[in-house]
Amino acid sequence: MADTPTNGQDSAVILDRGYRSYHGPRTGRRGAMAAIVKEGYRRVLGLRRKAKRKIFPWTLIALALGSAAVLVAIEWVSSTLPISLDTSDLFPRYAGYFDFISNVALLFAAFTGPQLLVPDRTQGVLNVYFSRPLGVRDYLVAKGATFAAVILSFWLVPQLILHLGYAALSPAGFLSYLGETTDILWKVPAAALVYFTMHGSLAFLVASFVKRVGAAAAGFVAVLLGLNLVALLFQETGLAPGARWTALLALEQHPRFVRDWIFELEASITIPAQAGFDPEASFMVVIGCAVISVLLVGWRYRRLT
Amino acid sequence: MGDVPTGPRPADSPIIVTRDLHKHFGDVRALAGVDLSVPPGITGLVGANGAGKTTLIRLLLGLTAPTSGDVAVFGTPVSRDAAGLRARIGYMPEGSCLPRDQTAADFVAYAAELAGIPPAEARRRASETLFLVGLHDERFRYLGDFSTGMQQRVKLAQSIVHDPRLVLLDEPASGLDPAGRDQMLEVIDRFRGFGMNVLFSSHLLDDIEQTCDWVVMLDGGRLLRSAPLDPPADGTAVSVEVFGDPLPLVAALTAAGVEVTHAGRVVTAVSPTEDVFVAVRDALAASGSSVRAMGTDLRSLEDVFMAATRESNG
Repeated sequence: MADTPTNGQDSAVILDRGYRSYHGPRTGRRGAMAAIVKEGYRRVLGLRRKAKRKIFPWTLIALALGSAAVLVAIEWVSSTLPISLDTSDLFPRYAGYFDFISNVALLFAAFTGPQLLVPDRTQGVLNVYFSRPLGVRDYLVAKGATFAAVILSFWLVPQLILHLGYAALSPAGFLSYLGETTDILWKVPAAALVYFTMHGSLAFLVASFVKRVGAAAAGFVAVLLGLNLVALLFQETGLAPGARWTALLALEQHPRFVRDWIFELEASITIPAQAGFDPEASFMVVIGCAVISVLLVGWRYRRLT
Repeated sequence: MGDVPTGPRPADSPIIVTRDLHKHFGDVRALAGVDLSVPPGITGLVGANGAGKTTLIRLLLGLTAPTSGDVAVFGTPVSRDAAGLRARIGYMPEGSCLPRDQTAADFVAYAAELAGIPPAEARRRASETLFLVGLHDERFRYLGDFSTGMQQRVKLAQSIVHDPRLVLLDEPASGLDPAGRDQMLEVIDRFRGFGMNVLFSSHLLDDIEQTCDWVVMLDGGRLLRSAPLDPPADGTAVSVEVFGDPLPLVAALTAAGVEVTHAGRVVTAVSPTEDVFVAVRDALAASGSSVRAMGTDLRSLEDVFMAATRESNG
């Protein structure tokens, strides 16, 4: 009889925990928007999801971070060589790094935008969002903030690795290098913001209208590359009167043209530059695309709800 | 919103009040002049598909604006503070609302955070709420792997995790087998003890009868009835089989203001407010009819709904 309880407590089990009222603080709209940002981050990175959901984003992130680490390693190896070698001519630095990972970043944006918007819409989760103290604008602002944070991190973290790596390996010393390159601290984020504004606004726009994540990602890439092709055809053949203006349709190339302007570099070979446009025109196209996208996405979601 | 009461309210004052509420979608009339006053407790919202149930719920949440008329919840006009009211309302949609790639615990905690509960407390409450709906052991499974019944329970859990004062349930037993339905209704019935008021939409009248204190009937956007479920909705009916022609008895009962139907020689009289036995006795005497058999039966909610629909359609 050793197992026989000697009092009621030994054999007690919880049959029902009941339901507690909540009398604590409520975080309101800001708390709700912060929750959307946090959950959006988890979704695009596959956190708290099945393993297969992590493969694609983390492969792209590994490519971006790995390429920065490799560039720093090359810099370190060249600094140990007996001969003096200027690696800045051979390997991309800050401005050039944007080109170096632009395709990877494009794919990342193509995947991230639809991941943030499409499942909520197609799986009916919007019903839950809008039954809470949130409006359409709050929802879209929070999703946009998540997208910006993710994409800008994708551009900026590898650049930070490059910057700190180069500073650590600089013959002039870590602090001296940082002091000599303070302009990088605004030029790189500014260029990254331009890339995000163009890629992000288009990815969100496509994701607002397409029902499948894969199709939205493919559609985004197809729109960018297709418009490049159209612009190139018109430029090469000069088929239509005013064909020069079609160069502005090469949306994928505007961020690069603006980046050269920000870094005060000689303009890269881009369709708008070849058509004789100034980088200011490309900048205005980027802003115009963002405004149109915001208006269309807002219109789409107001109709949905 | 002049007609809708505002300000502090006693505990037994109506939780939902509408005045001459209209909602049109283009040429489609979803609600037409609905005047409603719903007391605290569990209320059933009954109507066929297209009756306006979901539209009424969306108006209560402030997700759509009325074409005309007023709607207030807890004495506050929805148009004045829809977001503030939604913090005190839970909503279980009829259709799918669950992300397939999240675990039940993550999603319910997220739903709590969306309603303003701080993250640590949200996780605690998610766990407790999933326990309440019978999914504690499955809470770390992905929602895409859940059966329909389990998904319905998660939907119910997300609707109450933030401790709402009013829960709007749109067809909560939809798609469930009989055992699942009974369990779902049992959980909803327990909400009374948590101080929650429930508006529970269904086209399954048995579910409403089993769970609710009050019933609101809609048909084609019009309000047929808003009344306590018991005893008036279950009003007593008396069936009388007569020798000979039943029409004099029918006429006498009708003249007495009693609702009458007859099939062959069987006349059924229903009066939710009068003593129907007295009315039948008097009508038998007045008409001179001879009784062959007589008995009572209870009207189901379906009988009440069908009678109200017939009456409304003239």
